[in-house]
Amino acid sequence: MKNLLAFLQKYFHWVLFVTLEVVSLVLLFQYNHYQNSVWSSSANVVVGKIYEWSSALDSYFSLKKVNENLTLRNFYLERQVSQLRRLYQESQETQSKEERKALADVSQYSLVPAKVISNATNTPDNLMTIDKGSKDGIEEGMGVVCGAGIVGITYLTSTHYTVVIPVLNSRSSRISCAIRGHGYFGVLRWYGGDSRYAFVEGIPRHARFKRGDWVETNGYSSIFPEGVLVGKIVEVYNSRDGLSYKLKVQLSTNFGNLRDVVVVTDKSFAERVRLMQAANDSLKLNVRE
Amino acid sequence: MSTDFLKRLGLFFVFLLSQAVLLGRIHLFNCATPLFYVYFVTMFPRNYPKWGILVWSFLLGLMVDIFFNTPGLAAASLTLIGAIQPYYFELFVSHDAAEDLRPSLSSIGSLKYTNYIVVLVLLYSLVFHTLEMFSFFNWLHWLMCVVGSTIVTLALIFTFEVANRK
Repeated sequence: MKNLLAFLQKYFHWVLFVTLEVVSLVLLFQYNHYQNSVWSSSANVVVGKIYEWSSALDSYFSLKKVNENLTLRNFYLERQVSQLRRLYQESQETQSKEERKALADVSQYSLVPAKVISNATNTPDNLMTIDKGSKDGIEEGMGVVCGAGIVGITYLTSTHYTVVIPVLNSRSSRISCAIRGHGYFGVLRWYGGDSRYAFVEGIPRHARFKRGDWVETNGYSSIFPEGVLVGKIVEVYNSRDGLSYKLKVQLSTNFGNLRDVVVVTDKSFAERVRLMQAANDSLKLNVRE
Repeated sequence: MSTDFLKRLGLFFVFLLSQAVLLGRIHLFNCATPLFYVYFVTMFPRNYPKWGILVWSFLLGLMVDIFFNTPGLAAASLTLIGAIQPYYFELFVSHDAAEDLRPSLSSIGSLKYTNYIVVLVLLYSLVFHTLEMFSFFNWLHWLMCVVGSTIVTLALIFTFEVANRK
């Protein structure tokens, strides 16, 4: 008996080792009895809680990506809504196949999501930098929008970055826009000061609209697709020469906390530029001759 | 409760959580997963009670298993390493070495330590993936898993060893 105890004491760890291995292997090969082993799986309360925390943390880190996607998605839907609204209005009167085809226009533009990396709203001529450049297919003169509405136009492009002239640039920003549902168009300008308000000039005197109407882009320039939100009319003034109206517009884009934007690259844009250049060149040749 | 025990308990949870939350989700090339927690077992000093090493290893393996729904897999493999570790480490120390010498780069020299750690990690990875593939054996995939996991785990361990040396 004494010998046995001494033996056990000396080789206790080997006995323990074998026992533990047997337990492990039983667990390993008996696992098919799933119901009996809920405690030893991730269905365990403590383990479940830890996984819950960890995934909460994960989802926090992926918020950036989620945000980016939402901006893109929001912009896309916004445009679809405006297309549909127009189509609906027109279909009340006449309905032609070609108008319905306009919906397909959405694919004429491709979108490049970007991040604002520097921005200012406090000077009269603000500039903004985004983290996408010519490598991502961005060229000068493309429209920049965000989920809430219009942002500006690309101005200078390097390989990886682009300088944007936002609406909040009193010297250089002139964007063509129109009153939603009425079609009267004017030019969006900003004169410094409060970054929440801008002005639309050149609305004809005979135009009928009211405060609270929405102003959106009109798609004439092909920089912006039709129907991107600009803002809401809050005040109406006469222009200095008395020939047109000047509207004070509350911008739908909050430039103060802008993070995610989308650059609208018009696929037919390059073609149009080439055509214009060709036209100009041939005119010059004709003049010279 | 000695401070040694409390420290070890803290380390236990650090290894467990780092594996559960971070490392265990890494699958490089669809097979190389860091099995960093084996480092915990390789750190036991000389003359640490052998049954203690076994219990620690078994519990850590079991907890890892619970997190990854593989009951018994890590427990069986890690207990084996826990059984071997005291005998194997003894081969690398001279008889007049300190009684509680801890295996590390600085205590036994980089050549010996590399030898010590590579064999243990490789053995662990080998046993772990062999048991894992018991039902579905694809030897090329198995080999890639064993070698991949070993390399990734060793890279992590050496990073920590070198950082701790100073």
